[in-house]
Amino acid sequence: MAVAETISAGRSRVHPAIAWAVLAALVALIAVTPFLPNYYIRVANSLMIYILLGIGLNIVIGYAGLLDLGFVAFYAVGAYTYAMLSSAQLDLHLPLLAILPIAACLGAGMGILLGIPVLRLRGDYLAIVTLGFGEIIRIILNNMDWLTGGPQGIARLDKASVLGVEIARPAEIYGLLVVTVIVAGILVWRLERSILGKAWAAIREDQDAARGVGINTTTAKLAAFATSATIASIAGVIFAASQRFVSPESFTLQESVLIVLMIVIGGIGNILGIVVGAAILILLPEVLREFSEWRVLFLGLLMVVLIILRPAGIVPRSLGPDKLIRGLFGK
Amino acid sequence: MSLIFQNLRKQYGSNVATDNVSTDFAPGMIHGIIGPNGAGKSTLINLTAGSYSLTGGEILLDGRRLDGQKKHRIAQAGVARTYQNIRLFDQMTALENLEVCFYATEGGGTWKEVLWPPYEGRQNARRRDRAMEMLRLFDLQSYAGAEAGSLPYGRQRMLEIARALVMNPRVLLLDEPAAGLNHHETAELTERLARLRHPDLIMIVVEHDMDLVMSLCDRIVVMHHGKLLFQGTPAEVQASPDVQLAYLGTSDDIDDIKAAAASRRAKLGLRGRRRS
Repeated sequence: MAVAETISAGRSRVHPAIAWAVLAALVALIAVTPFLPNYYIRVANSLMIYILLGIGLNIVIGYAGLLDLGFVAFYAVGAYTYAMLSSAQLDLHLPLLAILPIAACLGAGMGILLGIPVLRLRGDYLAIVTLGFGEIIRIILNNMDWLTGGPQGIARLDKASVLGVEIARPAEIYGLLVVTVIVAGILVWRLERSILGKAWAAIREDQDAARGVGINTTTAKLAAFATSATIASIAGVIFAASQRFVSPESFTLQESVLIVLMIVIGGIGNILGIVVGAAILILLPEVLREFSEWRVLFLGLLMVVLIILRPAGIVPRSLGPDKLIRGLFGK
Repeated sequence: MSLIFQNLRKQYGSNVATDNVSTDFAPGMIHGIIGPNGAGKSTLINLTAGSYSLTGGEILLDGRRLDGQKKHRIAQAGVARTYQNIRLFDQMTALENLEVCFYATEGGGTWKEVLWPPYEGRQNARRRDRAMEMLRLFDLQSYAGAEAGSLPYGRQRMLEIARALVMNPRVLLLDEPAAGLNHHETAELTERLARLRHPDLIMIVVEHDMDLVMSLCDRIVVMHHGKLLFQGTPAEVQASPDVQLAYLGTSDDIDDIKAAAASRRAKLGLRGRRRS
């Protein structure tokens, strides 16, 4: 009896009506946003950049179980790549489509660079070393005045354009972000379900037993660091293109912590959870603008309440996209 | 061709866990390793699987050196193992626990799978079929979709053996497979292990349960204080005066060992109930 229950619980799915309602609401929201005033579009853009960052960091934290607190460094790599290759800083004016692959490769390279020294570390030790890495990158950006403009950053970046279409106004950036988030979301979700995704889960569960079944934990972990850094770097490019200004101030430890919080609050290891977590952490401060001095207190309270009520996050791992899709098509 | 130990030595500081152990394990047979607690039985398993590194000696599988290689390379070379305290991937389903083993050979195709759904569909279906087949062999098919950590303790033991076998290993190392099982489950385990006998498979069982070892194994290696004391058939082991003197001692000691095995079971059984 208990067995049958366990199995049916594993197969239970979201009710089709609810699944369709969620999907319809999402599509409607995405379709309506570009026609709202610019302020709202900017908030939506910022939200989507954080969703992108959350999707990326979730690979390392949620899938492979490695607590990375220096994630913002890869975001900075992408942003500064755009800033340097598309401004008067080095007098280079490359198009966005040329910068994206460059930033992606740089991001992946940096991800592996961080990954190699921390391969043997787990848990707290890993968190501390990655935190240091994030700070090192920020401080380098701050001090290499001749290249990065130092604390003043780099201003007056080129307007981005894709195949002759200018992408500079919030609504245009919005379109670029919707496409990027959807593509990244689908790819990462497929990655999660792939054989590599399962290997990541095995490493998260028991690293030593994972080696025992023939998983090369070194390459699997480096793959996790590289893919997540690539996504962060791409998010950074779009961020720089939308702000047309970068400075080290945007890449502080607080940003890394915010992204980790999004994942933990929304539901670790679950792409849907990240969307929810990002929505809460990005939209809440906007809604509660008048109480901005209370913001950190709100966050703290939210964390405490969640830890008590929903320790696995608002949308737990078990309620992932698979379940939503099964709900939609009743399969 | 077989698995050969040549003068294995493992030392922690001045503490010698195994000393100058040389023996070989032929395929098609079930080999038992017995000995009192601390005799170095599990150390032999851990050395073979690459969990520990050797202080001296060589381990050869079909003429190739295993020692000194990375643990995942040893696994890929065909050495599969189970653990004394079950180590499944608890939050993954029983099926996924087996499917993930294919990463060793198919992980390189990940991006092709991600970008080309039909390929992923084929690969997934094939992996699923192989894993389901193995689950069925152990009567675990009804648990396929359940989280491994939620399975009853006895089923977790079976699942761990199924996971070890899914890649058709050359060597199967079982570290106290009966620990924590009740009499009924131990009998089931003995029967299943006996059926796994295969001309190409080298099976090595470390076990405290004498009934299981004596009825299942074709050859037995007796360890004592880190040294190889005796090896032979179960009948030879039971008849050997050396073994009786050094390991079994008097008939009273046999009861002691049985009692120790029983209390060990009870301890692990408690853990099992807590987990499930």
